[in-house]
Amino acid sequence: MNFERFQNQSRLYVIGALEPEETEEFEKARKKFGKKGEDFIAKCYDLHEAFALSLRPAKSSDTIKERLMAMVKAKKEP
Amino acid sequence: MVPPLEPGAPTDLELMERIQARDDDALAQLYDRYNGILKALILRVIHNEAEADDLLQEIFMEIWNQAKNFSAQKGKPLGWMVTLARRRAIDGLRKKQAYARAEERLQNETEQQPDAWVHNATEDEIVLGDTRALIRKVISRLPPAQQQAIDLAFFKGMSQREIAAKTNTPLGTVKTRLELGLKKIYDGLKDLRDEL
Repeated sequence: MNFERFQNQSRLYVIGALEPEETEEFEKARKKFGKKGEDFIAKCYDLHEAFALSLRPAKSSDTIKERLMAMVKAKKEP
Repeated sequence: MVPPLEPGAPTDLELMERIQARDDDALAQLYDRYNGILKALILRVIHNEAEADDLLQEIFMEIWNQAKNFSAQKGKPLGWMVTLARRRAIDGLRKKQAYARAEERLQNETEQQPDAWVHNATEDEIVLGDTRALIRKVISRLPPAQQQAIDLAFFKGMSQREIAAKTNTPLGTVKTRLELGLKKIYDGLKDLRDEL
């Protein structure tokens, strides 16, 4: 697998869209490309952030934060 | 790519470091900053307000519990939170009996408006230079079929085969749509990063 192909596969990998039969070849290429490959995969995760930011933010129920913080405080107590 | 912060506001990384040190006020600030984005992501997956609110609470609890596993060397806090939220939302979708109902709704969406993902981008927003609008602009430039394939893969957790079956499209075509679409978005984000 050349690096251009690896880049295409990496973008599929980070969104979980690699098919099982592609995964083995991808993992071999990942080892072959080492740090260069890992750095590229890390950059591909920016796609997650972008997809989330592409959506219009939604309003949450006002009680969610209160419940969350109460649970966190309860968990912190010895 | 993260929207700009108010002057003097702690960065996401600073908040994560404080959360790792068990500062619950930092979690509250992170919640205020990102609950809307994460809720939108969850809603895009499960299409149910009450379930989305419950899941949002669980996800922020997981952020609190798993904060020690966050490493800035592997990525940014928002990316980590989105990855976590997406996984939980897709797991939730698959576990719940409501999956069948969501499938039916998805079927309707797929048939009626395959490009609904970013239909709300407006020129006004783009002129304002809003990061979010710029990202939507990058995505909205994709052909609808590429947008649809990425939407089904990312927000519904579908495999290439599932997308092929759902859209009645050859598997090779789905693969090509995903590869081309993701490359265009990736390249568009690279340009965006250079601009910011």
